[in-house]
Formats: sequence, structure tokens, C-alpha cells
Amino acid sequence: MSSETTATDLSTAERLHVAGLHTAYADAPAGAVLSVRDLNVRFNTENGVVHAVRGVDFDLMPGKTLGIVGESGSGKSVTSMAIMGLLPDTAEVTGSVRLKDTELLGLSDKAMCRFRGNDMAMVFQDPLSSLTPVYTVGTQIIEALTVHNPTMSKQAKEARAVELLAMVGIPSPKDRLKAFPHEFSGGMRQRVMIAIAIANNPRVLIADEPTTALDVTIQAQVLEVLHTAQEETGAAVVMITHDLGVVAGMADDIMVMYAGRPVETGSVEDIYYNARMPYTMGLLGAVPRVDVAEKTSLVPIEGMPPNLIHPPTGCSFAPRCPLASEACLHGEPDLRAVAGTGGGTLEHRAACIKSESLGGAVDVHEIFRAPELPVSRFDAVPRAERTTVLELTDVRKHFPLMKGALIKRRIGTVKAVDGLSFDIREGECFSIVGESGCGKTTTLLEIMEFHRDQDGEVKIGGLSNKAASDAKTKAAMRRELQMVFQDPTGALDPRFTVYEVLAEPLENAGMDKPAIRKRIMELMELVGLQPDHVNRFPNQFSGGQRQRIGIARALAVNPKLVVLDEPVSALDVSVQAGVINLLDKLRAELGLSYLMVAHDLSVVRHISNRVAVMYLGKIVEIGDVDEVFDNPRHPYTRALLSAIPVPDPQLERTRERIILEGDLPSPLDAPKGCNFATRCPVFAALPAAKQEKCLSLEPPLESAAAPGATAAPASPTSGPTDQQFACFYPDGELDADMLVVHESL
Amino acid sequence: MTNLNAIDPAAVAEEAKIENNDVVIAKSTIILRRFLRNKTAVTGLVIFLLLTVLSLVGGAFSSWDKETIDPFNIGVGPSSEHLLGTSQAGIDLYALTVEGTRVSILIGVVVGLVSVLIAAVYGCTMAYFGGKVDKVMLFILEALIMMPALLVVAVATSGGGNGLKQNLPSWLLLIIVLLIFNWMGTARLIRSLSMSLMQRDFVKSAQYMGVPARRIVWRHLVPNIGSLLVLDITRGVTGAILAEVAFSFIGIGIKVPDVSLGVLIGQATSQVSTFPWMFWVPLTVMFLLTGSLAMMNDGLRDAFDPSSSSIGSAKKKKKTT
Repeated sequence: MSSETTATDLSTAERLHVAGLHTAYADAPAGAVLSVRDLNVRFNTENGVVHAVRGVDFDLMPGKTLGIVGESGSGKSVTSMAIMGLLPDTAEVTGSVRLKDTELLGLSDKAMCRFRGNDMAMVFQDPLSSLTPVYTVGTQIIEALTVHNPTMSKQAKEARAVELLAMVGIPSPKDRLKAFPHEFSGGMRQRVMIAIAIANNPRVLIADEPTTALDVTIQAQVLEVLHTAQEETGAAVVMITHDLGVVAGMADDIMVMYAGRPVETGSVEDIYYNARMPYTMGLLGAVPRVDVAEKTSLVPIEGMPPNLIHPPTGCSFAPRCPLASEACLHGEPDLRAVAGTGGGTLEHRAACIKSESLGGAVDVHEIFRAPELPVSRFDAVPRAERTTVLELTDVRKHFPLMKGALIKRRIGTVKAVDGLSFDIREGECFSIVGESGCGKTTTLLEIMEFHRDQDGEVKIGGLSNKAASDAKTKAAMRRELQMVFQDPTGALDPRFTVYEVLAEPLENAGMDKPAIRKRIMELMELVGLQPDHVNRFPNQFSGGQRQRIGIARALAVNPKLVVLDEPVSALDVSVQAGVINLLDKLRAELGLSYLMVAHDLSVVRHISNRVAVMYLGKIVEIGDVDEVFDNPRHPYTRALLSAIPVPDPQLERTRERIILEGDLPSPLDAPKGCNFATRCPVFAALPAAKQEKCLSLEPPLESAAAPGATAAPASPTSGPTDQQFACFYPDGELDADMLVVHESL
Repeated sequence: MTNLNAIDPAAVAEEAKIENNDVVIAKSTIILRRFLRNKTAVTGLVIFLLLTVLSLVGGAFSSWDKETIDPFNIGVGPSSEHLLGTSQAGIDLYALTVEGTRVSILIGVVVGLVSVLIAAVYGCTMAYFGGKVDKVMLFILEALIMMPALLVVAVATSGGGNGLKQNLPSWLLLIIVLLIFNWMGTARLIRSLSMSLMQRDFVKSAQYMGVPARRIVWRHLVPNIGSLLVLDITRGVTGAILAEVAFSFIGIGIKVPDVSLGVLIGQATSQVSTFPWMFWVPLTVMFLLTGSLAMMNDGLRDAFDPSSSSIGSAKKKKKTT
């Protein structure tokens, strides 16, 4: 099988050479380490030939970073796999990939091995499954060295492995060499992956969504490591991501892909400030910004990417493009140079026949007809005068940690939720943010699974869990409270048609059949789905539509409060925008309250009114979203906010970043005083006398005016501020070691 | 994935139907449609139904019954008088086969259905409640698995079960014994499947809606292991028929004068070369029986499982109708 494909590939390349058509390298700039010309990838599937990558060209200069951006299914990963020669034999790859002077396409798997891991290396998306669990980390790094340096001595290899681990910032690298992958956290494992990738000083480093599976603070760390790695090795980096924020700071050039084709290429500035292709503009408009307080609704891109089994006759984006005209349907537009811009190594080119008329002055909200930002009738009412829909008082959830096979003994306690108190008023969106493992989800579970014997009080719609002894009270409480889950696929019973999914809560509420039918049609309309789709099964819908069904189900019984567990994290950016807009609209129209858990602070800023930052089971800062985000007091909040990449290259390059060290501490050796002391940048900069206080006392959650803090800075709104935080030294000096500013440009 | 956002004429037509309130198709109709689409499965079902009907009313087509001995035709081949020949005792083989088929189908269907039902209820209960309930129930299950089924069958149907035998016909005794030993494997499988289902968000969401436990087990757990249950029913029926045949063959299952396919096959094996019809007729019927069930298996699974590949053809169908 493999020899066959190889033969055809070779012959294609040869034929082109003979015919004199192979002009690919004539225009390749001198010094490019990697030149890709007219790369095409086709897969044979049951349904026909899928043309996954359709004509990708780019040149990679040493030391530069190219960001490839696009939605899932746009061909980003397939492109990188094709370059690395990692696609299965069934894939048909044509075109040319040149590493320096060597043509890589058509090489046998064995021949490719000389380049893979040596001149070219790859960092994969999922660090949890990219390392072999049965070998130590050291063995795996040394393996990478041995393959390409058979003559290297054992000592030299070990020394190099230690050096590599130190380079990617793993503490006490010598001891960690003998550790197994499961002893590392996700971020640490990704560092090890990077160490393996740069082991042989590659000239090209391909990073395929290297931080998607990680927390924001860890993402910041890993991006920093990638940056160091690039500086150390001088490698050219191809960064594949769907997150426009991540590439804004990293990349020099950007290639936006859609339906297997690059639709816009150019320098970072060109793309972010002067996008000329409606798809790029839509993508940029679809991302909420963490640093902007002014609220505008997001730009939704309707529809789904085209099916690549059928070659598009016109512009592949035309069916979703609001500007599409008759001319767009005839022939796919080529990438054409955009006049008046440029300056980067990559010429600014866009594949749109209207690119000339789309300049920086065009408002993307107008083009995509982004809906007006809905206004809730509660927005005008002061918070104190609204009714409370949910109130938590001192809720705790401790899990005992047991050890021993036969006789279990308690060796510690995991304080997943430790004394949480907050309330949610009518018509507001309250968000809980924090790293994974901070107790966000446990808090939600404590609320959803309220019962009498709980530690702490949960009051839903004025009814307390302590009084919820009979089924009737419980049912009344349940009706006030519904949940939307993170994974829209898992949350819908695959055996149920949409009708049955939506009928379940209604039947449970004791509605009769005709009323149920009427309500379901209403709900479908409300969440923007076609009412005649009620007979379909969930697997016949796209991710965004499934999440809409989930929302419709939550709204079925007219609850006051909807609990949203990461409602958009499983969705693509453009789809995410649509769902966020829908949530915004529903809150305003129906007067709903939301309790949202999210790790994406940009989404939180966009949709919430109030926010609580959690760390190790405790709220460290709480308050109005604009106050907390614009004026964070607790060092953890400051670090969290600074870790979020902003889709604005200039800002991203110049801003100061706090890079937290390490991961969440193990609950077993949780600090006695302030939980955050082990990672705190303020704590690290404090003199020893003051550090003592952090280590021995637990800071209470107090508002800024409380004694101990200096006179609160005049808050923009008169009256007592809503913001509270738990730190003895807010706004303290930050430790210089944890601050990073890139001044590469 | 096809583009679901495109509005096609069929969708518009369906929209008109909404007005007439017949937009919501019953689940059973959908399942039936999907099943009927699979030709092999339908063939299997037809064969199975024909055999069942034959076993119930087949006796009427022949003047002989399973007890009357024809002293003039002992051990003769198929003839105009005896369609399938006679046994060594001179009893009409057609009458015997009809009777045997009925007993075999009865044993198969009862054991198959009831054992899966027991397994489903037992397994789902274990998974849903978990903890101590799960531990105790699992212990009982393991204990039963470790019992030597063959010996118990032998004891129950022969000497040891004399007291029982006086009150119960041997086929009923065999059903009970087979039932006791047939459901444990399935129950364990169902337990583990349900346990993973319990972790899924849709079960949680139903719990958060306040849907009672009984209803969650019935509406969410059982249907989601539905394809497995259906497979297990058909497989269980096949298994029970084969077990009956096997037990009767070695002489510890159905006892003469009761007849079953297994008894007929067992009696005929020693003289296959001399009286081939006595062996091949019941064997063919047994193959038809188990074969038709195997043919139905796939179709049933596809019909119950929305994620199976038959969805593609479902779309084509919808457009044509």
C-alpha cells in the first residue's frame, strides 16, 4: 500500500519537473527553512473523496512563527500532519513540501524518520496521551536523542536530558528524569513534550493546539516555554490554533484557513487590524475581549463549514457570508495581494473578490448583522432591590482521603469547597472562575444536589435546603433551578428525539399532552431552531444546535435560575458567539438569572454582571465584573487576568504578564495560612517579617474599605463598592521573577 | 455531516404538517420503519413467525399425532402417508417435529425474554443504587455464576428432582433451571454499562429535573442499553434453544414421552446412516430457528440504536415518501 502511494507521489513530482511546471521554488524566498507549495490532501471515505486540504502555500523563515488559524475541520491539523508525513497511507498527498533543499513528499516512512524529531519536530495537542505511560520521562527524552545520535554516550545523553528539562522549566530536573508521566500534571507533561521536540535542535517546530487542553495560567506558562524553546533553538515555529488570542502574541505571520484553503494570509498586524476577508473579520468579531468593558453583542457566523466531499463551485464561504453576491458563486476566488498593506515576511493576501472594499473602517457588526445588545428590565433596578433567587451560606464539601487496601485510614481531607457564601439576584449573571481543581464544579453539584444533611445552607427561590424534607418542597425548588451542561452531546439522551428531550421536564411537571406540544414548539422558536426538527435525534444536529436544545430543555419549566456549566467551551468560536448572544437575549427577555462556571474569562466578562474568583475551594475575590476585571486586588485574580491572551498583537506583545509558578498545590499539603501563598507573586516579593502573616493567618474575604487595607481608591460609582477580596497585601509589589514582558518588536 | 441548516422542499412540506399536529411521530413507528428497512432481518422474522405458526397449528394438517403408533410403518422414510417418515417407534415424524418445535420455541422464548428481563432489572438496580446494595447483589450474582449449571440440571431433571417432576412437566422444569443459570452474565454486562451511563450528563440532568429514580431507570437506562438487550434476547433465545437441544441430547433435559428438537436429534444420532430423515428433519428445523433469530439480530439493533449506520438510508427514505 505504502509503496504504491509513494510511487504515484514521486511520479507526480517528477512529471512536474520534466514538464518544467515545477516553479515552486523560483518564488521561494532565499533562506526559507520550510516551503510548502500547493499542498493537497484527499481522503477516501465511505461517502466519497474528502478534499481536506486544497492548495496550501507558505514559506517559513528561521526563527519566525507562523500561526495557522481556523475552525475545526478547516484542515489545519491535516496540513501539519501532511508536512510531518504522519498521515495514513490511505491519504493522497500531492504538492511539495521542501525542508531546506530536500523534498519531503514522496519519501518513504523510513526516510522521513531521518527528519522527524531531528530537523522537524511536533508538539501535540493532548499532553495526557502523547507520552507513553510505562516509560519514565527520562527514557522518552533519551529515546529521542538516541534515534538521531547513535554515537552519543550514555552520560552525554543523560546530561542533555537534564539540560532540556531545565530549559522547559521543570524544577529539580535530575530527579524528575526518573519520574513517570502520571507523576506530572498536564502542564508539566506538555513541557516534557516540548523538551522532547527540541531535543535535537529542530529547524522547524510544529505545535498543534499545544495549549488547548490546559488551564489559562498553565497555558501562559507553556506559551512562555515555547517562546524560550524557540529562542534557544532558533527554530521556525508553525503554531496551529483556533484561539486568536494565543497567536496574537506569538506569531509573526498568520494564515487563516477555511474549508481546507488559506483564505487570508499576512503579517499579524495585517490580519488583526486590517482584515480583508469576511471570514477573518467574523472570526475576530466572534471573540469576546477580556480587556474591554463596553458591551457589544458578538458576531455570529451562521451555518456550518461546507462538506468537502463536493468541491465548492463558488467561494467556499459564500453560503455563510453576509456579503455574498451573485459573483461569489462563480468560481473560487484566488488569494490576491491586498494593496496598501504589508510589511511582514508574508504578503497580505485575501481570497475575496470584495477585499478591496473591506478596509479597516468597515464595522464587522454591521456586516454580520450582529443583533442589538438586549437590555433586561432588571438592569435599571438597583441590585439591592431585586429578589434573591439563590443564596449560599457557608457551604462546605470535604472529601476524606483514604489509604490502605483492607483497613482504610484517613490520611487527609480534600477541601473541594470550603465555606462558600454568595447570592444571586433576579436578572443577573453570576460567574465563578478559576483553574481546574479549584472547586467550581463541586460548587455547582452542591447546589444541584441540595439535600438536608449538607454542610451549609442553600436557599433556592426563598426555600432552604434545610426545610426540603418532603418531595413537594424539593420539586418546588427544582422547578426554580435548571442546568445546561458543558458537553452538549453527553447531555442529551441519544435515544430521545428532540421532542422527547424537551417533553421530559414538562411531563415531570405534570403538563397535559396538548400543552406540552405547544410549549415545545414555543421553545424551539425561542432558541432559534426549526420547529420541524423535533423528530430528529440529537446526533443529527451540530454542536451549537445541540447546545441550543440543551438550553431549551433547561428553559422548559420556566425556571428563575439557570446553572451553566462551561456552556460554550466545547464549541467553535463562531458557533460560540451565536450561543452567547442567545444566552444574552434570553436573560433580557425572560428575566433569567444565570450561575455560570467558565474557565474562559473573556466569555465571563462578556456575559456576566458579577464574578467570583475561586482558588482551592475558597472565593478569593468577588464583585462586579467590571470592577474586578479592571481593578483586580487579589494577586491571584491579577495573575489569572494577565494570563488571558488578548486578540490584539500590539497589546499582547507589550503588556506585562504574570507567569505563576507551578500548579495548584496538592490538597494534602494545603498551606495553613493563605492558600495562595505557595504561588503568590506578591508573597514572593514580601520581606520575611510580612510573609509570616500570610503563612500563619487565613485572610478573610473583606471589602476594600475594611481595616488593614489603605483607604480604598475612589471607586467610580459612589457608595460602597461591591468588590471583596481575601488578601492582606492587595496591590502589593510583584516579584520580578514572575513578570514577563516581551519586547521582541 | 450534511448541512442541516439548508431548507429543502421536504422541510417546508413537513412544516405544513405541523399545523395538522401530526408532526410528532411515535417512537415505535420510527423503530418499526428502521427495522423494515433491513431485508435480511425481515426475512429472519418471517421464517421465525412461520415456524411458530407451524408449531402451533401444524398438527391440524396431519391425521397423525405424536402418540399414535402406526404399526405398519415403523422406521420408514418419507412417503405419501407419512410426510416426513416415522420414528423407530412408528410415530409420525411430522407430528413429532411440530410438537418438538413448539416445545423448543417455548423454552427459547420464555428463557430468552425472562432471563434478559431479570438481568436488566437486576443490573440496572445495582448500577443505579450502587454502594452496599451493589455489593450484596454482586455477591449473590458471583455465587450463582460459580454454581455448576450442568450438574444442577442433571440432578433437577433426573433423580433428585423426583418430587418436583411429579408436579411439573419436564419442559417447565428445564425452563426454570435454565432461567436460574442464564441471566448472570448479562446482568453483569448490564451493570457495567449502566454504571457508565449513570455518569453521563443526561442522567444527571434528569435527576436535577427531579425525575423519579424508577422513571430514570426505565426511560434513560433501559433504552440506552436497549440494543444490547435486544441482542441479548435474540441471543438468549438461540442460546436457550441450543442448551435445550444439548441437554436433551445428552439425556438430562427433556425426557421422553415429552418431545423436543433436542430429544429427536439425540435419538436419531446413533442411526444417521440408516435413518437419515430422523436426524436431518429436526436438525434443519433447529437451524432455521436459530438462523432466523441470528438474521433478526442486526436489524433489531439498527432499529433501536439511533447512532447506527441505518440513519443514512433513513434520510433517503424520508425524501421519497
